Amino acid sequence: MTASRDPDRLIHHFLLEGEEQLQDQVFDAIRADIEQKRQRVYFGPWRTPIMNKFIAFGLGAAAVAAVLLLGSRFLGSATRIGGPGVEPTPTAEASVAEPSSPADGSLPEGSHILSDDGVPITVTISAPGWYGERAGGVLAKNNNGNAPDGAGIIVFAAKADAYVYGDPCQWSTTTPDTPATTVDQLVAALAAQASRDASAPVDITVGGYAGKSITLHVPDDAVFSDCDQTEFRTLIMGPDGARYHQDPGQIDKLWVLDVDGDLVVIDAGYYADTPRNVLDEIEAIVESATLNVN
Amino acid sequence: VEEWVHEELVRQAQRGDAEAFDSLARMTGDRCLAIAVRILRETDPAQDAVQAALITAWTQLRALRDPSRFEPWLHRILTNECYAEARRRKRWSEGLRILPVADAYGPDDYLTVDDRDLLERAFRRLTVQQRAVLVFHHYLGLSISEVAARTGLPVGTAKSRLHHATRALRASIEADARATPPSQERLA
Repeated sequence: MTASRDPDRLIHHFLLEGEEQLQDQVFDAIRADIEQKRQRVYFGPWRTPIMNKFIAFGLGAAAVAAVLLLGSRFLGSATRIGGPGVEPTPTAEASVAEPSSPADGSLPEGSHILSDDGVPITVTISAPGWYGERAGGVLAKNNNGNAPDGAGIIVFAAKADAYVYGDPCQWSTTTPDTPATTVDQLVAALAAQASRDASAPVDITVGGYAGKSITLHVPDDAVFSDCDQTEFRTLIMGPDGARYHQDPGQIDKLWVLDVDGDLVVIDAGYYADTPRNVLDEIEAIVESATLNVN
Repeated sequence: VEEWVHEELVRQAQRGDAEAFDSLARMTGDRCLAIAVRILRETDPAQDAVQAALITAWTQLRALRDPSRFEPWLHRILTNECYAEARRRKRWSEGLRILPVADAYGPDDYLTVDDRDLLERAFRRLTVQQRAVLVFHHYLGLSISEVAARTGLPVGTAKSRLHHATRALRASIEADARATPPSQERLA
């Protein structure tokens, strides 16, 4: 009787039986369909879900709930560019006029809300081919953040603690116990990060707020698959999650600002082959930023 | 070499090369169908699920970060399409009596006709989610962590689901075996 025999073996043999060949007409139908369908554009993801460890830092139950809500909304919009998104709840910043998008799904030139949580940030886009979602925190030139010539911008503006990993590859074991709480601390940690060939920090001002900029590099010979969870990470800031990189050779210019006591990081990622005009567009976007302190 | 070709095709397809994706689909489609047929227990919805999964994979391919993980990533999409297909079919297929797929394809000497019918009935009583973990574990021979990755479950949940699915399957077989004389248990 069946029931008296080894069930695992029975299941295995039972599952060995059955059809294993997809009909040619299905392959043909798939081919015809994909010829008509555009691939959705993705940039990154640049961020990853917040770790429970960071939620635990001094947050009460109500705060945790708020962080999770914020985090899920941020992640939903930050990791998928150009696709359908949930209509955000109107805020004071929503009054910024945003003209309709071009047919290719890129952002119209003009004012764009980059962040509406934490420190709201609005920027002006003055060139075509930039993609992003309203308040998604990420902009991508030509929907491409990858090597050899992609470029994009991500902001961390959630008024959250910032932790810079000691080693961007072995990040899980090099997370500091305490966050960086000032521009100087954050920039010093970035400059000291292993393998980043960091530039000397430079004093800057963005939107009337003082800070420092620093440029970091992902080594050309970095092997992401050898890194913790196959991710090469720079930092993690609250519900925005971690900044992790797209490809070896990626260059990041970071603007670290003190906005009335809260740290804001604007991070532009690009590559050696990214066209000069795109780098100029990045600089113009950052220079146009207005930060609205609640 | 095959893995390298596979990854290169994924990279080409991520750049919008439909020809490369067509090759990928033909390399992976049969295995997808085998999985879907075993989860859904019917060929037509399984073909629909595979078609939908491959089209979804095309549209979302640029989100795949590691080209070497294409097939596990595709299987996760396929699992979700199987769930969706099962929901769509449930309304009108409930109560239908369907010949087991095993009758038509490669009978296994280890199983008797009675075994096969008992297992088919028992398998159909499982939820589609339970069937999915059984198929990935017993048919593809995947570890629990790989089963978890393909079904989008935490490892502990996948382990628990596999345990409960096996137990439910066994209980169902035992109940059927007690209730039905072997000579009368053919489905029609």
